[in-house]
Amino acid sequence: MLDHILSILIFFPALAAMFGFVIHKDSIRAYGIAVSAIEFVLALWLWFGFDSAVSGMQFMEFIPLIPSFGINYILGVDGISLFIIILAAFFTLIGIASLTDTKNVKNMIITLLFLQMTMVGVFVALDAIVFYIFWELSLVPMLYIIGAWGGPLRIYASVKFFLYTFAGSLVMLVGMLFMAYFYYQATIDPMTGVGVWSFAILDWYRLILPENFQLWLFAAFFIGFAIKVPMFPFHTWLPYAHGQAPTIGSVILAAILLKMGTYAFIRFSLPLFPDASVYFMFPIAIIAIVMIIYTAMVAYAQEDIKQVVAYSSISHMGVIILGTFALNVEGITGSIFLMIAHGVVSGALFLLVGVIYDRRHTKMMSEFGGLASVMPRYATIFGLMLMASVGLPLTINFVGEFLSLLGFYQQSHMITLIAGTAIIVGAIYMLAAYKKMFFGEVTNEKNKNLPDVNKRELVALIPLSIITIWLGIYPKPILEPINNSVESVVQLMHDKAITDEAKSRIPNLIKEVEEVEISITSVEGAH
Amino acid sequence: MLEPVNVSLESLNLMTLAPMLIPIIGALLILIIDIAKSNLDKTLYVGISLLFLLIDFSALLSSAGVFAQDGTIMGVFDLMLIDGLAILSQFILVGASLLFIPLALTHKRFHEFSYPEFFALFLFMISGFQFMVATDNLILIFVGLETASLALYTLIAMHNRNKSFEAAVKYFTMGALAAGFFSFGAMIFYALTGSVELGQIATILEANNYADMGYVLVAVVFMLASFGFKLSLVPFHTWAPDVYEGASAAMAGYMSIVPKIAAFIVVMRMFEFLINSGVVWLEVVLYIFVVVTMTAANVWALVQTDVKRMLAYSSISHAGFVMVAILIGTTQANSALFLYWILFSFTNLGAFSMLWISRQKHLPVGQSSDHSYNKFAGMIKTAPVAATIMGLFMLSLAGLPPFALFWGKLYMISSAVTAGYTVLALIMALNSAIAGYYYLKLIVYMFMKEPVVNQDGTVYVANATMSLKTIIGFAAVGTIFAVIVVNPLLEFITAFVYNSGY
Repeated sequence: MLDHILSILIFFPALAAMFGFVIHKDSIRAYGIAVSAIEFVLALWLWFGFDSAVSGMQFMEFIPLIPSFGINYILGVDGISLFIIILAAFFTLIGIASLTDTKNVKNMIITLLFLQMTMVGVFVALDAIVFYIFWELSLVPMLYIIGAWGGPLRIYASVKFFLYTFAGSLVMLVGMLFMAYFYYQATIDPMTGVGVWSFAILDWYRLILPENFQLWLFAAFFIGFAIKVPMFPFHTWLPYAHGQAPTIGSVILAAILLKMGTYAFIRFSLPLFPDASVYFMFPIAIIAIVMIIYTAMVAYAQEDIKQVVAYSSISHMGVIILGTFALNVEGITGSIFLMIAHGVVSGALFLLVGVIYDRRHTKMMSEFGGLASVMPRYATIFGLMLMASVGLPLTINFVGEFLSLLGFYQQSHMITLIAGTAIIVGAIYMLAAYKKMFFGEVTNEKNKNLPDVNKRELVALIPLSIITIWLGIYPKPILEPINNSVESVVQLMHDKAITDEAKSRIPNLIKEVEEVEISITSVEGAH
Repeated sequence: MLEPVNVSLESLNLMTLAPMLIPIIGALLILIIDIAKSNLDKTLYVGISLLFLLIDFSALLSSAGVFAQDGTIMGVFDLMLIDGLAILSQFILVGASLLFIPLALTHKRFHEFSYPEFFALFLFMISGFQFMVATDNLILIFVGLETASLALYTLIAMHNRNKSFEAAVKYFTMGALAAGFFSFGAMIFYALTGSVELGQIATILEANNYADMGYVLVAVVFMLASFGFKLSLVPFHTWAPDVYEGASAAMAGYMSIVPKIAAFIVVMRMFEFLINSGVVWLEVVLYIFVVVTMTAANVWALVQTDVKRMLAYSSISHAGFVMVAILIGTTQANSALFLYWILFSFTNLGAFSMLWISRQKHLPVGQSSDHSYNKFAGMIKTAPVAATIMGLFMLSLAGLPPFALFWGKLYMISSAVTAGYTVLALIMALNSAIAGYYYLKLIVYMFMKEPVVNQDGTVYVANATMSLKTIIGFAAVGTIFAVIVVNPLLEFITAFVYNSGY
């Protein structure tokens, strides 16, 4: 069964969602929890079956889809994607378990299960078109979740979310078609004059492109990914989406969907275009810095606690980008770790905002104050997550942020210094928000008798708290597999790099002078 | 004394006429039955039409088999030209007609279907289109085109809305103008080369190296205008939304597919050699046509308040998208045209059929059109299955993977990339993004708004019968699982297009 576990992980939730239509709406929640629990167990099983020592792809599957055009159903998992898959399974479970009574709960759970299919699919697909299918398909359930259960501006927010991402991905699709065409050009057999179409990512890895092609293709992919992350200045859809989405939507969006963009950078942009990555390293680093500082400032100005969390989430995505574009093992490992950390922490923060919203139906911080005395357990967990969010040592975020910055320090001291300072200063807005909500006297009558977090909410929040501290103290079980896979990516980039600058920026991990066997194919003939 | 004419029947290859004659026989049979006994139920005529279309389809299968073995077949004094393009396009023509005819079996009575003439005309029309694609003789193309068009004008006018007459007259006027343009362009070609066969014209023009370039360009302008009308390219599109609105939804869906594929084939035959002649001017003009048609139609579609008009503009945009294949002219592009159109006919016919089953006998109270967006508001609450299927068609039209039209778009954009049209590929991609908005608008109405006009879900399936549901189910399944058929389809199409020399 482990042979096809990736397909099972993808399609089990979708199949279960189909069956969900016949389940009575009173029992649907139990059904949803059961399905997502099974999925989570399967994901854990994948982890146990996973060989951490292997850096390449594991559990690969191959089914021809449109072989004459090089599109095949290829799946595989490595250290980079493994934990994001587990995170996706985990958050779907938590999300469904903590789902408060909403209207149309049946539709919501079925939609979530479909969403889970697309999320897992994105992270295990090794064919660009299959990747693109899941990438685009994930928009539909999210569109529905925001549009049907959101706040007063929900339709605007959901359509903006959809169109923004859709437009970006179409540009990316053109880039993918170019990659396939270049691969075709490079594989043309001189005897027959016929090449091979392929959209397989692992095939593309073998392709070495001239620098100017790399720059254009990098830009095409960048638009698709940057909108998804979202990077400044493409971030404007996210505050709307978060602001209007129901709690569950925000949780999934922040914890998993945004990670698709940063994951795709590591899966596509870096190994496919190493020279372009080096070329754009500093511009992107500067965008990342702007992202960190600017969104932190915007967060400080917010009056809605959910918007604070949303902007802080964008701010931290900037650190992930910075780590990714350090282009060395520390930086990329750190950014992948931070993806998971950011997922856990911002997911938890959105859940916490949902807790108070369920009680008061407002997210305005001015409505609160002194909650610490009314809801002590809530205040404690919120405080813990907040500390993790600002990167307190011994919490999960710290590990990722530290490694990301350490990685980029090797590329530029100055930028790292600015970024590090920005992250520390970023603590201000979080602490200020915490102060406004939890400290002081209870001034608002309505807050006097708020019940503290109940069992169902604890079921979701306690595991997240445990993970936050556990991985903050002992990150090794996750770091090691990530590290192995990242090393192979960095080595691949070094070997593929053609410019001298790229060769020097991307470290060579094999110290001995030994040429790695890699088929160098030229596409000078294209156009 | 003249030599006695000596033609052996075998050299005439009369079998090449079989696929066109079958619907004609069917039509005549219907007329005879009507004379013998009138007031028979429409189910009989639907049955007969289906039967003859199926026979037609199997005749096509056998000629496809012959083509795969022996290559292009000429017949009837080389009038008929059965090559891969002809066979593929006839498959689409007859296939789409097979999907259309059962839509006549509605729950409500619409008087056009009670006339046997409707079905007879319908079959005559198919035969006309079949003639049009299976020849490279300009005269026969003209005859086929006019047979089909005149039948089609009548079919539109038979619908029971006031706007139907307007639509038919508008279409007729525009069509007559287009026919005039066509004959004028053909005349110039004849004057230049002394031939009415496109193959001959190409050879002669190439032999004298396009000496009379000015005249060729005039002819091309007339041809372009003529087919611009037929394919509803901007700025010759103005009739299309009104005609779609006036025609019944099923007929509008049919019109967005069948007449256009026939016109595409003729355009492909005609412009293939003209573009290759090295006339930069023609390429530039086509480039502008393609981009303007895609973009402008998309922008107009954004502001429509009626779903059917929106779909009309979207069909124009899709036609512009496919016109890219004519501009590029590589084998991959021409194959992409067929792939796109096959997948498009599934999806678009499905979408129009969804409008058709929600059609009421009379205009809804307080509404100026049959299918306003408001009508569909909150549909997920009252008719969830219908809403989901409609949403599915919209997503497919928007080009969302893995639904049918995505694969067509993918291959089409890829052919632009391969041929070096980078900017065009980007324009195509971005146009798909613009188009996303108006398809999404309907989804937003259906899934995210509260019901305004219709509190009762039965409205959306008012016209539904078993046969309509079957067609829609067929289209929906085809839309979802298109990925399975794309590979065999692509191999089949590419082989046929390649072996026809396109």
